Amino acid sequence: MNRTLPSLVAAASVILLIAGCSPAAPANTEPVTGGTLVYASGDAEPTCLDPHVGGNYPQALVATQYLESLVSIDDDGEIIPWLATEWSVADDGLSWDFTLRDDVTFTDGTPFTAEAVAVNVAHLQDPATGSSTGYLALQKVESVEVVDDSTARFVLSEPDSALLESLSQPWLAIESPTALARPQAENCESPVGTGPFVVTAWDRQESITLERNDDYTSPPADAAHEGPAYLDGIEWRFLPDSASRYAALQAGTVDVIDNVQPDTIVAAESVDSVEELNAPRPGASNRIELNSSKAPFDDVLVREAFIRSANVDDAITSLFFDTAERSYSPLSSVEKLGYSADPELFEYDQDAAADLLDEAGWTETDADGYRAKDGVTLELDFPVSTNQSIPAEQSLFEQLQATAKEAGFKVNLEPLDLSSWYGALGENDYDLVSAPYTKVGPDVLRILFDSAGTIPAPSGYFANHSQVKDDALDALLQSAGATSNEAERADDYAAAQQIVLEGYYILPLYDQQNHFLLRADVEGLRAMPTVSTPTLYDTWLDR
Amino acid sequence: MRTGTRGRLARWALLRLGGVVFVLWAVATVTFFALRLIPGDPAEAVLGGPGSQASAEALAQARADYGLDQPLVTQYAVYLGRLATGDLGSSYALREDVASVVLTNLGPTLLLAALSLLVAAALALGLAVWSTRGGRISAAIGSLLEIVAAAVPHFWLAISMILLFSTLLGWLPPVSVPGPLGLVLPVLTLAIPLAGFLGQVMREALLDAMQSPFVLAARTRGEGDGGVFWRHALRHAAIPAIGLVGWAFGSLVSGAVVVETIFARQGLGRSLLSAVQSRDVPMVIGVVLVVALAYMLVTTLTDLADRLVDPRLRRVSR
Repeated sequence: MNRTLPSLVAAASVILLIAGCSPAAPANTEPVTGGTLVYASGDAEPTCLDPHVGGNYPQALVATQYLESLVSIDDDGEIIPWLATEWSVADDGLSWDFTLRDDVTFTDGTPFTAEAVAVNVAHLQDPATGSSTGYLALQKVESVEVVDDSTARFVLSEPDSALLESLSQPWLAIESPTALARPQAENCESPVGTGPFVVTAWDRQESITLERNDDYTSPPADAAHEGPAYLDGIEWRFLPDSASRYAALQAGTVDVIDNVQPDTIVAAESVDSVEELNAPRPGASNRIELNSSKAPFDDVLVREAFIRSANVDDAITSLFFDTAERSYSPLSSVEKLGYSADPELFEYDQDAAADLLDEAGWTETDADGYRAKDGVTLELDFPVSTNQSIPAEQSLFEQLQATAKEAGFKVNLEPLDLSSWYGALGENDYDLVSAPYTKVGPDVLRILFDSAGTIPAPSGYFANHSQVKDDALDALLQSAGATSNEAERADDYAAAQQIVLEGYYILPLYDQQNHFLLRADVEGLRAMPTVSTPTLYDTWLDR
Repeated sequence: MRTGTRGRLARWALLRLGGVVFVLWAVATVTFFALRLIPGDPAEAVLGGPGSQASAEALAQARADYGLDQPLVTQYAVYLGRLATGDLGSSYALREDVASVVLTNLGPTLLLAALSLLVAAALALGLAVWSTRGGRISAAIGSLLEIVAAAVPHFWLAISMILLFSTLLGWLPPVSVPGPLGLVLPVLTLAIPLAGFLGQVMREALLDAMQSPFVLAARTRGEGDGGVFWRHALRHAAIPAIGLVGWAFGSLVSGAVVVETIFARQGLGRSLLSAVQSRDVPMVIGVVLVVALAYMLVTTLTDLADRLVDPRLRRVSR
């Protein structure tokens, strides 16, 4: 199914090239109030609309419309006020005081106070909540003290330079304490925040209905207007199939779609009634991780040989049609502390790969033309999650498999469903793997490359898939996380990324793709600079 | 004689009921263990899906809440005990009673399946009648159409029809909308391949019947072409088609997984898909059990229908 759909869409795009193209309406410049926008998501349907519970991207997408955080981030990556107006950190870095807005009320009438912040942090840290992302982000937070109604003090067990970035994420948004006191099932269905919209209904597998919060007063500092949202409401639909999602956009059944595939983006470029919004996700870049904990990748020469043998640039060009840009960094291009290696470090060079393999002792050639050593074929297991990898990316892996074959690598691509894929990772049954990771700020490096990340959680999950264990790297990540000096922090993270790149632990590919298509009469849609979720607060319909 | 028939019927019903219970037990058991054997931790389903990076405390809490810390055999016994009382348990991922989720989704899927079956039967009959009565060329065309229809995959058909009827012609909505218009493409997607299968069977049977002795007998009685066809041959041709209805229903439910996903329709197929992906064991078993029950109900009904259409079966005791 995954293999056939792209070609169908490609065929469709040809037809549409001929048939499409309706004249663009003259643009209205004054925002108008009214109308319901239909947003069609290709991401999974959340299992709970409260992003404290679990904490994944589908939840962040929709929660951005009804929940708000203490702080946000602007386009330059600077922390800006939101529900908190000011903050200060103690000299020892162990306590942070946040001054809160005193004129904000949750949509159930509960006032927003320091007590509410304390309740939210306690909720995130309660095992019964089952929080993963929010819980991890608050690991260094011991408690929140209520200094007065509009001052909340975060007490830390150790300094945390990532605290503000963590708090800006939708998974740590602030909810009404009154609503949180309800049973979890109830709060999952109708979470209550301070946002521009209110959840009024959730028809599973169909849609979530959101209505405007008429009393809304708390946009982030970088919003385009103040007061209530322009839209009367949002119909948030789930359309899992990418071809029908695009068809629905063209037919005008829906106004905005996400998870747009590269071939669709190209097809849409020639359609006047459709516009594109590209908003790469922060956190890690999409990359292939090389499992350095076992043969053959415990040998840096073999890791380098594999990376030299992979013709990434050509594969990206042919499969992503210039909709994705090659990355040379462990971090997303939207991360301001991202460090990019010299492209030469990852240059495609079959001769170099051959020399490296000779040097590493993989000098034999087996009957099928693969390299071998002591009668063992140079084989690499590459489990691929079909739920997290788009078809174009899976084709890219196939092309890399082909170029690596020329160097003598036998790459075994195994498409797996999400559970089996995590199962294979948990059992260390992989040599190559590509796993997305979204988080605001460079602290994601600690999650992905700290030695501690090689120790599986009780669920069997660990985030350090390349299994780097490097004391110097650990020390850099530790000091970057603790320092309150921005320059020092930047230097530490740059040095840490250099170790990861020059050790050939990862093969960076491109940013995590986050493409949206919208109908041309949808105005003022922007992605939050935090985790690139679209916000419909400033959006209005020009019809 | 009357009591004898009634006794036979009672025994038949009892056997049938025993069979149903046995099949449901087997389905529940196989699904339960199969879902546990594949890698992945059900406690993660509780916490928002696999790889949720949940904390040890949260996982422990979830395991305790859902009894996942018990030995597998105990969990199985507890689960079976609950099933026996009609309690399907509660979904890990949806935090709702499985029974209520299944009930909500059963209607849309049954409607889709029933309409598809009707449309498929109508299409198959039309094609079979036209191709058997229209001479050699229409027979060849009919046969080709049936083979093609039977062979097209659901997702391909769905996407092609969306392109044609929604994107190009703009006649029908590309995804599910409330009301009958939103049903047209999903129903056609399921009905066309099925019509191909049913058509092949019905045309064979029709041709077979037209050459059989009872048709000759009818003709010698002076019955005209039309009478022979509509009154005798068609009835004969319906028998194998009815036998296929049970099987067809099964294929419609599996096709619903694809169709409900592509057209973003609410239904059991889509619930099943997401439940399997998130390893939501109670939800998967709940859906599978209901589908199995519905399947057995349909086959029983087709057996009864067979007896109505084919008088020979009524005389043979079972």
